Amino acid sequence: MDLFDTTQIALERALQGTSARQATLAENLANANTPGYVRRDVDFQSSLRAAMGEGKDAVERATWTTVADGSAPLRADGSNVDVEREGASLARAGLEHEALVSVIGARHHILRAAMGIA
Amino acid sequence: MGIFDALDISASGLIAERTRMDVTSQNLANAQSTGYRRQDVVLREAGGTFAGVLGRAIGAGAGQARGVEVAAVVTDEGAQRRVYDPGHPDADAQGYVELPNVNAVTEMTDLISASRAYEANITAMQTAKQMFSKTLELLR
Repeated sequence: MDLFDTTQIALERALQGTSARQATLAENLANANTPGYVRRDVDFQSSLRAAMGEGKDAVERATWTTVADGSAPLRADGSNVDVEREGASLARAGLEHEALVSVIGARHHILRAAMGIA
Repeated sequence: MGIFDALDISASGLIAERTRMDVTSQNLANAQSTGYRRQDVVLREAGGTFAGVLGRAIGAGAGQARGVEVAAVVTDEGAQRRVYDPGHPDADAQGYVELPNVNAVTEMTDLISASRAYEANITAMQTAKQMFSKTLELLR
């Protein structure tokens, strides 16, 4: 029996996922006034969800990429960045990150309690 | 992607919007200066050059912070305003003075747009900061 189970590994991978997503959304916001800029996003959830069914090694090896969002331009300058939408997604990524950290912290606490060092 | 990349990306956005505000202020300040022409900032995605795109595609540039950069500050070659003012030292033979092609309304909307985008980058920076400090709590 390993110390860290699939759930713990998945939680830690998701933490990396939310960080990558935050950086990508920050980039969209930085380019809010760049003509012709195509917004990007990171979908780490679907790769993690697929890997969860295949066991711990798959979760550890799960990768995701930054993909361009090919939706139609919103503005006359050819950019499809919507500052409000990016802001909302950013808040969401931040809250998800906070939730993940809380759950990981609670699980660490349980582990420490079981080891008698809490 | 390193955890501090997000801060560098947002910082590049702050610099770009700051430059836009500076240039817009300069246009407004020179709205009555004869001989001046309106300046405009051209932004482009940092790392959007051929080498940058290729590097990202083959995974070589994955760790680089990107963001936005000022490609150029260009002069607006639009027609100057002609105002009848025979007493002006720069007036021509017909008594007309060529004033800059600066439109106060355009400049004000640019200023608002730059200032809102600046705020958006600050928000992104704050989210990144909160995420990092929350992660650090795991070490306690």
